[in-house]
Amino acid sequence: MAEELLVGLEIHQQLAIPTKLFCACPPVKSEEFPGKFERRLRPAQSETGHLDPAALFEYSKGKSDLYLWNPESSCLVEADEEPPHPLSAEGLEAALLVAATLKSNCIDEVHVMRKIVIDGSNTGGFQRTAVVGLGGSFDADGERVGVQSITLEEDAARNLGEDGGSRRFALDRLGVALVEIALEPVRGDSAHVGAVALQLGRVLRSTGKAARGLGTIRQDMNVSLGGGRVVEVKGVQKLNLIPKVVEYERRRQSMLRAVAAKLRAKGVRKVACRSMDVTATMARTASPVIKGLVAQGGAVRCISARGLAGLLGWEPEPGVRLGKELAEVARAGSLGGVIHSDEFEKQGVTGPEADALRNAMGCSVEDGLVLVAGRPDSVERVIPVLVSRLEAATEGVPEETRAPTDAGETRYMRPRPGSQRMYPETDIPDIPVPGPLRARVAKAVPEDWESTVRTLESRYSLSSDMALKVYDSDLAAEFVRACGKLRLEPSFVASTLVDLPARLTREGVPEAWCSLPALMAALEAVDGGKAAKEAVPEILRSAGEMGVSVGELLASTGREVLDEAHVAAVVEAVVSRESALIAERGDAAFSPLMGEVMKELRGKADGSLVARMLHQKVSEAAKNAGRSG
Amino acid sequence: MGDLPGYKGRALRFLQAAKASIGDMLEVRTKWGVVTGTLVPRYLYGDGDHVVLKLKSGYNVGLGLDGLDGAAVKAKGEKPSFSPPPPPKSPERLPRVALLGTGGTIASRIDYRTGAVKPAMSESELHSLVPELSGAAKVEAEVMFDILSENVAPRHWGKMAKRVVRAVDEGVDGVVITHGTDTLGYTAAALSFALAGVPVPVVLVGAQRSPDRPSSDAPLNLVAAVSVAGTAKFSGVYVAMHLGESDDKIAFHRGTRVRKNHTSRRDAFVSVGVPLAAVWGRGGLEYVSEGLPPRGGSFSPRPAFAPGAALLKFYPSMPPGAVRSARRLGARIIVVEGTGLGHVSGDVAKELGLFVKSGGVACMTSQCIGGRVDLNVYETGRDLLQAGVVPLDDMLAETALAKAMWVLGTGAKGDRAREMMVHDVAGETTARTFPG
Repeated sequence: MAEELLVGLEIHQQLAIPTKLFCACPPVKSEEFPGKFERRLRPAQSETGHLDPAALFEYSKGKSDLYLWNPESSCLVEADEEPPHPLSAEGLEAALLVAATLKSNCIDEVHVMRKIVIDGSNTGGFQRTAVVGLGGSFDADGERVGVQSITLEEDAARNLGEDGGSRRFALDRLGVALVEIALEPVRGDSAHVGAVALQLGRVLRSTGKAARGLGTIRQDMNVSLGGGRVVEVKGVQKLNLIPKVVEYERRRQSMLRAVAAKLRAKGVRKVACRSMDVTATMARTASPVIKGLVAQGGAVRCISARGLAGLLGWEPEPGVRLGKELAEVARAGSLGGVIHSDEFEKQGVTGPEADALRNAMGCSVEDGLVLVAGRPDSVERVIPVLVSRLEAATEGVPEETRAPTDAGETRYMRPRPGSQRMYPETDIPDIPVPGPLRARVAKAVPEDWESTVRTLESRYSLSSDMALKVYDSDLAAEFVRACGKLRLEPSFVASTLVDLPARLTREGVPEAWCSLPALMAALEAVDGGKAAKEAVPEILRSAGEMGVSVGELLASTGREVLDEAHVAAVVEAVVSRESALIAERGDAAFSPLMGEVMKELRGKADGSLVARMLHQKVSEAAKNAGRSG
Repeated sequence: MGDLPGYKGRALRFLQAAKASIGDMLEVRTKWGVVTGTLVPRYLYGDGDHVVLKLKSGYNVGLGLDGLDGAAVKAKGEKPSFSPPPPPKSPERLPRVALLGTGGTIASRIDYRTGAVKPAMSESELHSLVPELSGAAKVEAEVMFDILSENVAPRHWGKMAKRVVRAVDEGVDGVVITHGTDTLGYTAAALSFALAGVPVPVVLVGAQRSPDRPSSDAPLNLVAAVSVAGTAKFSGVYVAMHLGESDDKIAFHRGTRVRKNHTSRRDAFVSVGVPLAAVWGRGGLEYVSEGLPPRGGSFSPRPAFAPGAALLKFYPSMPPGAVRSARRLGARIIVVEGTGLGHVSGDVAKELGLFVKSGGVACMTSQCIGGRVDLNVYETGRDLLQAGVVPLDDMLAETALAKAMWVLGTGAKGDRAREMMVHDVAGETTARTFPG
């Protein structure tokens, strides 16, 4: 019987307000960064003098952080060089509106907290965050989904990747207002979880306070299998990844539980581990990977793990192995991976070498061996993490924080943060939520999103499918505005705004070429008689290829719609030029000739008009030539 | 208030009725459901209408009394105790550095329950905050007092100076004083005079971000201060703070030429009119200015200060009575921050003349911060000279004030005091001003 999967979603939605949460900077994305500075974050102690495991892990990597900034998008507050300004009143009101819309109970006095995060993504080493609502619910996929809490918080700096020993971040996104909605765990399959996330997104958009664009909404997922430990998957940006991530985690957690069950069956209660330096033993190894690392001055350490032989490379479910987990831990610690005894042969570690290692380690063939090679300090740091990961094999799923990959798998990031990482933001006084503000928020709660979709359907005669697509695309406001301004069929406007970009990107057109301003300009051109409906895709492609705006393109190439006389002239010219073809094939010459004519007219004439004229002319010519279809 | 700090009014009565104490696990019944969490103290200025709970997630929330139906203690709380790991043993041959705590941001840690900032200066606490210290020196830490630097007074300067003298007598290789940044510049100047000729480095160090944050500037400032105090070849009084926004270099400023020029940046401190004394990078000292006094030599400290000096900033329409007020409040030396080259209005100049006639010492500095005063260029300046006002060249106004309190501490008055104010003791005035 399949074990029950529980998924607690945490949705982070950027809020559409004019400033960041704790300063007056606008929430805009910068492309250039004239300023930079470098910092090193240290773990902060808890009240008992102990350190958060996640914080310690990040610090142990010994990395410094390089922050890039632009005055158009950040100030001294983001640089942690100035105390935060008071919490944005608009941000608070927007978060309260989200809370009210989700029927959450509004907190009477908001306390801003510091959540310790030292992966470098916050210059202060913490994220400012405050609970504004507790409880609540919404309906999705035929079920009532519970809300645990709603928090108002600042977004993290934008990760620009790593450069040697230093992580690079852009400060433009740091401090942007986010609302986090933590849902009660939902039971069910991966599709159900995806449906819940989609539905919540619709509810959020109905408030009008959700910011738009890629990266403005991110999901964290707390996934646990069969009541086991919780694994946090951070930062799923696209909704369609959710079902894949859930499915991958199901397989991965099943594998870990299966490994634990096998160990139990073998009578291994504790995976005792030993580690030692085997650089000398492996000096003349045949393994190309290890040979290369040792040649660069690297160290090799070997960990023996009791009873794990055969279980490191075991794949009870497709694509998941304990060995892969270990490699991820090594990679999170800046190493290339690990080589374990189940794949020694594949990796070029010979039988005699394995025997020598077993001898040196004093372990049996029942035990697993894990080789780690690389820079000595990196190897040193990773060993304890690998050992604790191996020791946890008897317990099944370890608590940890993981990141999604583009393919919808997950990879190890760091241990799960402890509960000791939250303390008050002493720079921000507590904020009472006054009665008049509550009343204003209660009044602003939007009609439910389904009524909005029904309105789109009835007022603009859209199919229910198209109305929903318009709503989900988050372009309902633009659609309504365009329909009010332009004398075009609403269904044409809707399909241009919603379907066309999807179709073109499927055909390999870059997303940027189908931007909203480009689409609107194309619609206006059609409305103004400057382009034919059929020409819109071609206009977007040409403008993109030439790197100009749609307006510039139309101005420079004179893509005005030709009147009938012009069209007739072009058609006649083609027909007379191709008289031989018509004589030979009669009416059947229509198709190739249509292509010819459209090539000459593309974008300047309505396709149906051309077809009608051409049909007529081809028939006439065929008759004259004494042939008829 | 007993064990419910910060609570008052209705909130206090509500909690007393529930027999709740700080740290207890409470179940509070609200109109919309039960909220469970740990009772945390309320800030001093919080109102009496809310109860604050820390939820299991770590978040604090304030619940309004109007929406509450009652509360029950679910479990009595345990007070957390702070038990950092023991400090590592320093190798014996490291230099000895006395670390004197006086308070301020640098020597604090947060109480996670209350959010309050507490002093953290025991040796083990320091080492647990900054493990690198054990590799830099054998640190002998002592908390002298725990005050915010705006409350530091001349008597504290006297105590610090005397404590440094004792540490030098005990044979330390250097002294580090942790201090709040607001008046760090004043204290550095005061100690420069009291400890003129000190044979070891005396480094004052502060922080603009408290050590409870992962991004604090305190650890690096402290490591640089301790390492330079223990090993530098020069002596004298310095201020060590970040050179820029990055955690890479620490600037050492001369004690009499340093000023806090920004309210919040890490690199708030600047050397005015002189180059930096030294720059420290992670590998050690990267730059040392010429002309710093070498270690060693004789030393005759005069570690006494007396109040009785005032700093008056001239402003348009300043009433001349301001000078009389200062005198009535006991000022025997008045340092004036004049405009431009060192000017005040005619009325105020006249009043300064009367102050000098009555036996007081009036000195002139400039609110321009950069450059030197010159009372010979304009008529107002000449009037001030005529009235007996002493121009202090390019001495910083804050340094001049500290010097005045030190001069008074030596018992000097009248002409002797005037002479001492002008005579350079610790690099407080320079002979040449450079471009750039």
